[in-house]
Amino acid sequence: MKLLVIEDEAGLRESIRDYFTEAGNVCETVSDHPAALQKINMYRYDCIILDITLPGGNGLDILRSLKQNHYPDGVLIISARNALDDRLKGLDLGADDYLAKPFHLSELRARVSAIVRRKSFNGNQQVIFNEIILDVEAKTVGVHGQTVKLTKREYGVLLYFIANKGKVISKNALAEHLWGDGIDAADNFDFIYSHIKNLRKKLIDAGCKDYIHSAYGMGYKLADQ
Amino acid sequence: MKLLDKYNRISILVTILVIVVTGFVYYFTISYILTNQVDKDLAVEENEIFDYVKFNHRLPQVFKSADLKIHFQPIGQNTVPRKFKNTPYWDERDREEESGRELLSWVKVNETNYSITIIESKVETEDLIRMIFFITLGIVLLLIIVIVTVNRLLIRNLWRPFYEILGQIKLFNLTDQNSIKDLKTDIVEFQDMNHEISAMTVRVRHDYLELKDFVENAAHELMTPIAVMNSKLDTLIQSSNLTERQGVLINDMYGTMTKLTRLNKAMLLLTKIENKLINDQEYLDLKKAIESTCSEFQDMATDRDLVLKINLTDVWITISHTLLDILLANLIGNAIRHNKTGGEISITLTNEALIIKNTGKYGALDEHAIFQRFYRSPESEGSGLGLTQAWQICQNCGFKLQYSYDEVWHVFTIILKTAV
Repeated sequence: MKLLVIEDEAGLRESIRDYFTEAGNVCETVSDHPAALQKINMYRYDCIILDITLPGGNGLDILRSLKQNHYPDGVLIISARNALDDRLKGLDLGADDYLAKPFHLSELRARVSAIVRRKSFNGNQQVIFNEIILDVEAKTVGVHGQTVKLTKREYGVLLYFIANKGKVISKNALAEHLWGDGIDAADNFDFIYSHIKNLRKKLIDAGCKDYIHSAYGMGYKLADQ
Repeated sequence: MKLLDKYNRISILVTILVIVVTGFVYYFTISYILTNQVDKDLAVEENEIFDYVKFNHRLPQVFKSADLKIHFQPIGQNTVPRKFKNTPYWDERDREEESGRELLSWVKVNETNYSITIIESKVETEDLIRMIFFITLGIVLLLIIVIVTVNRLLIRNLWRPFYEILGQIKLFNLTDQNSIKDLKTDIVEFQDMNHEISAMTVRVRHDYLELKDFVENAAHELMTPIAVMNSKLDTLIQSSNLTERQGVLINDMYGTMTKLTRLNKAMLLLTKIENKLINDQEYLDLKKAIESTCSEFQDMATDRDLVLKINLTDVWITISHTLLDILLANLIGNAIRHNKTGGEISITLTNEALIIKNTGKYGALDEHAIFQRFYRSPESEGSGLGLTQAWQICQNCGFKLQYSYDEVWHVFTIILKTAV
């Protein structure tokens, strides 16, 4: 997929680019308002990651410009202002999603994948990883054509893992993704372990290879090897 | 004490004092004058006796009179000093003792000395004085009534601008938009006061907004560096050759980042709640909201082997959806987080109150400090703002949040309605 990151903070911009750049992905970056306008008028992207506060103008103007020209690019707004107003304004203007800073790169990636999937022309509602096939519409999982019964959380974990395949996902990121703000009440994320354990067991029982690995005790990784 | 009462008290006290003093002076003066008058009458009688003795060389015949008694007494060669004095007077007609005035004198008749005692009743004088006293008393009462009434009207009128300003100050709220209005008054002092208070509120509000902006901006500005650090950590863990030791360190850093983020978010949220910026009021099923919050926390409760006892009745309340979620998540989350392994949580909802009880690792908390910002038990990993948020939300919604400790239970009660 082809992405554009519009973000003025160099550290964050580079991290996002590093995280998304891999085989099959193109990730371009710009840091200010005029350059961003130039880019979006010249090229089309599967998804644009847009920061609202930019030097030289407001990120929402870029979104307006996109919508006025009827460009089909998916837009994900990232903002340090988690104000409800900003969020609603962005979504009203036609943004596909909104993510408040700070966020985990894995979360950003899962959101971007969802946007790109929704925007895809063939209306492909399937997420495929080797022999695992997820139907995001029906929220079902199949392995070798056989349905695997997963709980809501286990399904969420699997979808998140596949969106971030090959990447190490920290327990924090996973917990925040699955439990949202409610996770604030937890002092540790050990209870995630039981969900992962159950998911692995169910997949292996269905004849799937064991793709989920623990990484350095701080996270997990879904990978071929 | 109100200004009017204080003023009335002083002015009435002074009035009474002055009138009483005046009354005394009045009484003594009149009494003196009247006694003098009586003394003159007595002296006239004495002179008449002297004249009679001079021409007739014998004592005059004494006639009985209602208010005058003359009495002669032979005293040989002695004399008595001439003097006036007060004495009782027996009124035979009225058969009662009255006060009287006596003149003691003597006269020489044919070589024999006689003492003369002339007593005159002072009853009329007394009557006069009594009348004067009652009239004075009447005047005092009248004067007090007049003073109180006039003061009341006058002060109420004079001080009206003051009370108007006071009323405005009472209604003044830093977070509202309304300011102190100008007053129509021609009294310079009040104009001054109004003007100064007006200026002060403008200044205070300006400072407050600036401070609020600063807090909000500071919190927001922090979000970006936190986001960068977070993303760098996310990138760092993608490295293929990390050791277990490095993994533990990175995990700790994640933990700290999470804490920092939570703290920052909690501060922003608290500011928003305090400024009543969340206004998505709805008529909501409280029972359903509690059940959904509980199911969200189920994993954490199961992880710690907590027993959850829920007893809910159907209650609907009008509240912001966002705020209700925060309120329930904070209270139920606390009940789980501060519980001991294998402990219990009991949630009871009635029409009057929502009661969340939990067992805990430690004893009673300080019920006065518990809702203050950044108060937390030493072992708590939280931001110290969760209960402050909960308290503020209850405050905004007109509920009352209370804490108590009952044997083993930490009890948080939200009083939804005050008992009728």
